Amino acid sequence: MNRKRSSRLRKYRKQIFAGIVLILGLAVLGLLAWVFYLDRQITAQFEGRRWTLPAQVYAEPTELYVGQAFGADALERELKRLGYQRVSTPRQPGSYSRNGERIELITRRFRFWDALQAPQELILTTRGDAIETMRNGRGEDVPIFRLDPLLIGSIFPIHGEDRVVVAPDEVSQLLPAALKVVEDRDFDEHIGVDFSAIARAAWVNLRAGQIEQGGSTLTQQLVKSYFLDNRRTFGRKIEEAIMAMLLEVHFSKQDLMNAYINEIYLGQDGARAIHGFGLASQFYFGKPLAELQLHEEALLVAMVRGPSYYDPRRHPDRAKARRNLVLDLMKQHGVLDAKAAAAAAKRPLGVVNSGANAGGYYPAFLDLVRRTLRRDYREEDLTEAGLRIFSTLNPYVQSQAEQALAQELERLDKAREPKTGRKLEGVVVVASPQNGEVVALIGGRQASYNGFNRALDAKRSIGSLVKPVIYLAAIESGLYHAASIVEDGPVEVKLSNAQTWRPQNISHEYYGPVPLVRALAQSMNLATVRLGLEVGLDKVTRQFVALGLPREPPQLPSVLLGAVDVSPLEVAQLYTPFANSGFSTPLRAVRSVVDADGQPLKSFALEVTPVSDPAAVYQVNRMLLEVMEHGSGRPARAWLPPGLTVAGKTGTSSDYRDSWFAGFSGSHLAVVWIGYDDNSPTGLTGSSGSLAVWARLMASIGTSSWSAPLPEGLKEVSIEFPTGLAARPDCGVDVISIAAPEQAQIPAAPGCEVGVFDSLGERARRWWRGFSR
Amino acid sequence: MTKDGSMRAHIVLLSTMALALSACAIQEPRQTPAPQPTPTPPQPQTPVETRPGSPPTTVEEPQPLPPTIREPVLSPASRALVGQAQTQLASKNFAVAASSIERAIRIEPDNPLLWIELGKVRQAEGNYVQAENMARRAVAMSAATPKVQAQAWGLIAESYRARGRTAEAMEAQARADAVR
Repeated sequence: MNRKRSSRLRKYRKQIFAGIVLILGLAVLGLLAWVFYLDRQITAQFEGRRWTLPAQVYAEPTELYVGQAFGADALERELKRLGYQRVSTPRQPGSYSRNGERIELITRRFRFWDALQAPQELILTTRGDAIETMRNGRGEDVPIFRLDPLLIGSIFPIHGEDRVVVAPDEVSQLLPAALKVVEDRDFDEHIGVDFSAIARAAWVNLRAGQIEQGGSTLTQQLVKSYFLDNRRTFGRKIEEAIMAMLLEVHFSKQDLMNAYINEIYLGQDGARAIHGFGLASQFYFGKPLAELQLHEEALLVAMVRGPSYYDPRRHPDRAKARRNLVLDLMKQHGVLDAKAAAAAAKRPLGVVNSGANAGGYYPAFLDLVRRTLRRDYREEDLTEAGLRIFSTLNPYVQSQAEQALAQELERLDKAREPKTGRKLEGVVVVASPQNGEVVALIGGRQASYNGFNRALDAKRSIGSLVKPVIYLAAIESGLYHAASIVEDGPVEVKLSNAQTWRPQNISHEYYGPVPLVRALAQSMNLATVRLGLEVGLDKVTRQFVALGLPREPPQLPSVLLGAVDVSPLEVAQLYTPFANSGFSTPLRAVRSVVDADGQPLKSFALEVTPVSDPAAVYQVNRMLLEVMEHGSGRPARAWLPPGLTVAGKTGTSSDYRDSWFAGFSGSHLAVVWIGYDDNSPTGLTGSSGSLAVWARLMASIGTSSWSAPLPEGLKEVSIEFPTGLAARPDCGVDVISIAAPEQAQIPAAPGCEVGVFDSLGERARRWWRGFSR
Repeated sequence: MTKDGSMRAHIVLLSTMALALSACAIQEPRQTPAPQPTPTPPQPQTPVETRPGSPPTTVEEPQPLPPTIREPVLSPASRALVGQAQTQLASKNFAVAASSIERAIRIEPDNPLLWIELGKVRQAEGNYVQAENMARRAVAMSAATPKVQAQAWGLIAESYRARGRTAEAMEAQARADAVR
């Protein structure tokens, strides 16, 4: 039997052997095909990543010039915000020294859209709240200088990976050295996988009974990061190891190290994943990687092992202990001398706050940037092509706006019945009216939350914010001026559906005959509806479009009381011609876009278009000043600096669902909205809600007074605010000053005619008024 | 833009530039841009120093006006930027020139001289509508300052002429001359 079998075996030996060879051959082929497949995959990934650069967005650069409103403290704050390092004698770009009122700095090299700016030494002196002199290193006066702008974020792909890619020459020698010491000591020698390290790790882990040490090389970590796969299966590990070896075949150690530095995950900021040391440096320290000091670099290296476990903001002690371990390892392996390591270990973590400071994140504004550019670029161009975008954001105004909104919302929430549990939402839009630049934008209560962008997408009823539009239409018609009398009494309008519309004042009172200026200042509904109907609904709705609303509201009487759904950004656009003497300028968030090589691709140039008679706008603006002095905007005075002239209008939608305020100074136009997302009543008027946010904001950003020269064909007239009768400033009740057409005949208040001698009675009245105050 | 129009625009541009450059040379020696060898050769390569009768545009000089009227002047920072813009304009770098003036406008948004300068850049690049609009913006902010207003109306007239709207150009020119 044995012989039989062996003979049979012998008989089939050839076939068996052939079979085995065939199977082996197929296996080898399969393996080769698999390796080939992995090779294609990993090289494509590597090459692809190398060029996947999210567009970087910069804030507006700060201009320095003599007379600029920067005291020494404010200037130092600004430099700190930009991550400039205070030293005793500045020698490196990005450093400064301060001696009382004298600040010396060396600026960073920066490529603006219109010029490359080389590093320059600047010596500034300040006096009080302004820059007094500015000279360069050779003692010559410098008339104006642009600081490098703050990097405020990037347009990263939907999956949330954000990075700021750095070139090898922007990375200090220490960083790769530290990474090798801490993560992969044999990086320079191994072939992608370090078998001795795996054995060592296995031994350590076996003895500890848990995973204490990983044997992954930097190359393996890189592969793992490319595929965002945390499955720890054996097959996955093999695949990873093969890919790592393949990468080593194709690319130099230097390339791999650079890819690692730009790839590795270093933290989370909401939906945004912080990848690479370039962005991590901005995110944690608010300055470029090239300027990091030893202890800062060591912290980033320390975080590679576990960005959330060692998050220096949430777990400072843990992060510091590991940072010091990194420093110690660097010393042990001769990367650092003992003195430097010991000095660095004594330093604090030095991490900047996320949010208001550098490294802050402005999702609502970036959303506006993204939407602006989406008209001209494909999504992939924005997220991959390495564009540099120069935006209009002013980080200081933005942080003041965030603060003003947060404080007021908290106060308002506390003041209402606590049971509801709902939270008020708010929006702030700030623009410079003359050039249409959006300098701050908040899309919701949590300014850093990337979600529903109310500033752009919440179309809400704007209530009395429509009134200036109606009054402008009235004055442009030539039939009215600020002292014209209009009746604030019952109004009935027959609607097309056979119903009757009976609007009411908020107070449910009638004020009788009132001058236009008072009707607007005190936001009288009935007087306004009457005026709007007299002027003509079609004229009013067309006026909205002329001023910049993208679509004409329906020609319904309710439009006169603000039943128009408009987003806060559109309100800002609508108010721009008021703040800009009758000229419209498209609101913009981007100044310029350049490609990865610094070539300008597109600029959004300043454009203005006359949309309304400047003299008519001027007359309405003078009335809007009275809103702040005698009307619904008056409570703002509690916050505003005395002597600051501003104009504005409150808005309250029906049932108190929306609280609005829109207004402007000489240099800023701001719109504030407060309400609930589900459109339920808030119990707030524009005056009791949004006004305070607006006023706090305006008080904190050093804005300038509104002023404009009296246009030709107009005259200054003093009238009594309640009656609209002309009166000398020293006579009559609540005398205010308005602008009216030269030919306007305004009846005088009895006894107060201009030019009439001061009568005894008048003197008595003045005495009495002085007394009663 | 017709050839004729472009030529005319060019002449106007170069002469205003010459004015402003010479003005700069007086005010701000450090900022003096070397007279640029303009790439296009046509006639108005007149020496930069010659100064025709009308006063230069952006210079503050003792104004022969009653003391109550204070004509606007440029701050040193704006002056430097306008000088820079004029150099950039000389090399036909319109976008960059406009961007320099926009920087100045951010510093002094209420200075009509800057809006006129921006209008000149627009005029030079053939954007006559924006040239006119910028000038009108300047008019709206210079009700009390006749000299600047005259300049602005002059630019409006120029922009109409470039578009072949002769009647409106003459009307605007009349307004310019009336304030002078």
